[in-house]
Amino acid sequence: MGKRETGYKEAIEEIERIVAELEAENIDVDVIAEKVKRATHLITVCKNKLKGAEEQVQKALEELNQQDRGDDEPF
Amino acid sequence: MSKAQFTDRLQRGIHVGGMEKTERRGGNSHKAQRAAEHGLFAEPPVQRLSELLGRIKSVIDGTFEDTCWVVAEIAEVRMNQRGHCYLALVEKQGDETIAQIRATIWSYAYRSLAAQFERATGEVLRQGMKVLVLAEVTFHTVHGLSLNIRDLDPSYTMGEMARRKRETIERLTREGLIDLNKGLDLPLVPQRIAVVSSPTAAGYGDFTNHLRNNPYGYGFSFRLFSAVMQGPEAEHSIGAALGKVAARAGIYDLVVLVRGGGSQVDLNCFDSYSLAAEVARFPLPVITGIGHDRDETVVDMVAHTRCKTPTDVAQFIISGVRDFEERLLDGQRRVGRSAERALREQRHRLTAALKDFRHHAMQSLGAVRRRLDAAQLRLTAAPGAALLRKTDESRSLQKDIEKAVKETVLRQGTRLEKLEQAVRHLDPVNVLRRGYSITSLGGRPLVSAEGIKKGTVVRTVLYRGWITSTVEESGDGQA
Repeated sequence: MGKRETGYKEAIEEIERIVAELEAENIDVDVIAEKVKRATHLITVCKNKLKGAEEQVQKALEELNQQDRGDDEPF
Repeated sequence: MSKAQFTDRLQRGIHVGGMEKTERRGGNSHKAQRAAEHGLFAEPPVQRLSELLGRIKSVIDGTFEDTCWVVAEIAEVRMNQRGHCYLALVEKQGDETIAQIRATIWSYAYRSLAAQFERATGEVLRQGMKVLVLAEVTFHTVHGLSLNIRDLDPSYTMGEMARRKRETIERLTREGLIDLNKGLDLPLVPQRIAVVSSPTAAGYGDFTNHLRNNPYGYGFSFRLFSAVMQGPEAEHSIGAALGKVAARAGIYDLVVLVRGGGSQVDLNCFDSYSLAAEVARFPLPVITGIGHDRDETVVDMVAHTRCKTPTDVAQFIISGVRDFEERLLDGQRRVGRSAERALREQRHRLTAALKDFRHHAMQSLGAVRRRLDAAQLRLTAAPGAALLRKTDESRSLQKDIEKAVKETVLRQGTRLEKLEQAVRHLDPVNVLRRGYSITSLGGRPLVSAEGIKKGTVVRTVLYRGWITSTVEESGDGQA
């Protein structure tokens, strides 16, 4: 799979790791804010990717298509 | 006459029945010769072609009066403009054709036979198909020998197709291909999709519209790799399209194979071994939505996931992305909840600690205060009262109290020491140490000699040890 796939995979794994840490009994109160911030950031990035992938990936595909135009139509 | 001579004469246009005479006749014109010959031989064993063929026809018509059921393979099939169907039927042994004949289904019969056949088999008559036909042997003096097909038994073809399909499945299983594509992991987020379909098919439009208008607003990118999706060219065309996708497998998450909206027949390509093997070996998961009502095709069977229609494929893909978003949302909820809980716990612990601290502090302060109060009470009554009163309002009250307490304790201590000394002096041991002793009778110390007679045995305890003695005499004077 391509680059983006790894991004999703790594993100969700990190998010779930943070959740597990936060749900542990004796989390250090000092790191809570930091962890929440990191998780929220990752979630936002993923959500944006889910909704906005079309433009990004379309762009990538168009570049690719320009390199080799076949008989099939990109759209 | 040798065979070669015979052929030679035929080529020169001389009738074989023309006898030896006509041989070795030199360079005269052929035309002249033939005229001469006709004149010469009055009873030519010659007949017109139509006569010969007429005779053949009568033999055939007489011999093959009835129609008969014939099993054959279609080697060629075509329709003409008037709706007649022309076929070439063959029988093969391996790759070798061992019998072949032309056959016709006249348009009138063809309409109903074809419809019936397609309904039953889901297929149109095509090359390579095995058929059981009710044939009438006909001989036409112009068109020659052929079979006129009066009926067609679709169940035979279906049986043949099922057998072939079974063999294909067995082969794919034997070669370990049948579940190969299913072994691939579905992408975590299927957003980049290679579509193998026909751009004009309704199914393709259904698929892309459904993806584009998904209710969650997910973004998808797809690229069409166009292919012919049915008929004899489909197998090759789909294979070629798949090959193009495979060359750039890295930039796609999965491949979908969709068609629909076209004819429900002639989907034979989806049962072909080579296409199925290609799908099975494909480096990305293949999702099918071939959109037919028949049983699963072999391509469906080897695909990673088989959906019924292109719309179903789109829904499947959307649900995959939805699964990921659910995981995200779950993470989001749990991060919020657990952070809140952790903070609440911390706050609670802090409050509890504070309460605890306050309690202990109050207790300690209370004890101190009580002690101070008690000390104050005692001191106001004591000689130190004056001192206390003097410093009552000063800030060094406690210090003064402590001092007073210390002094009291010190005084009390001195008294105790004296008392202890006195008590120590009273201890008999100290008396005995100085040379005194205790004499007792029957366990009671003797303090008087009165009543003590001669011979009485008394016991005397010394500082160290004891003795018993027998009384010799006694008196009542002071020692």
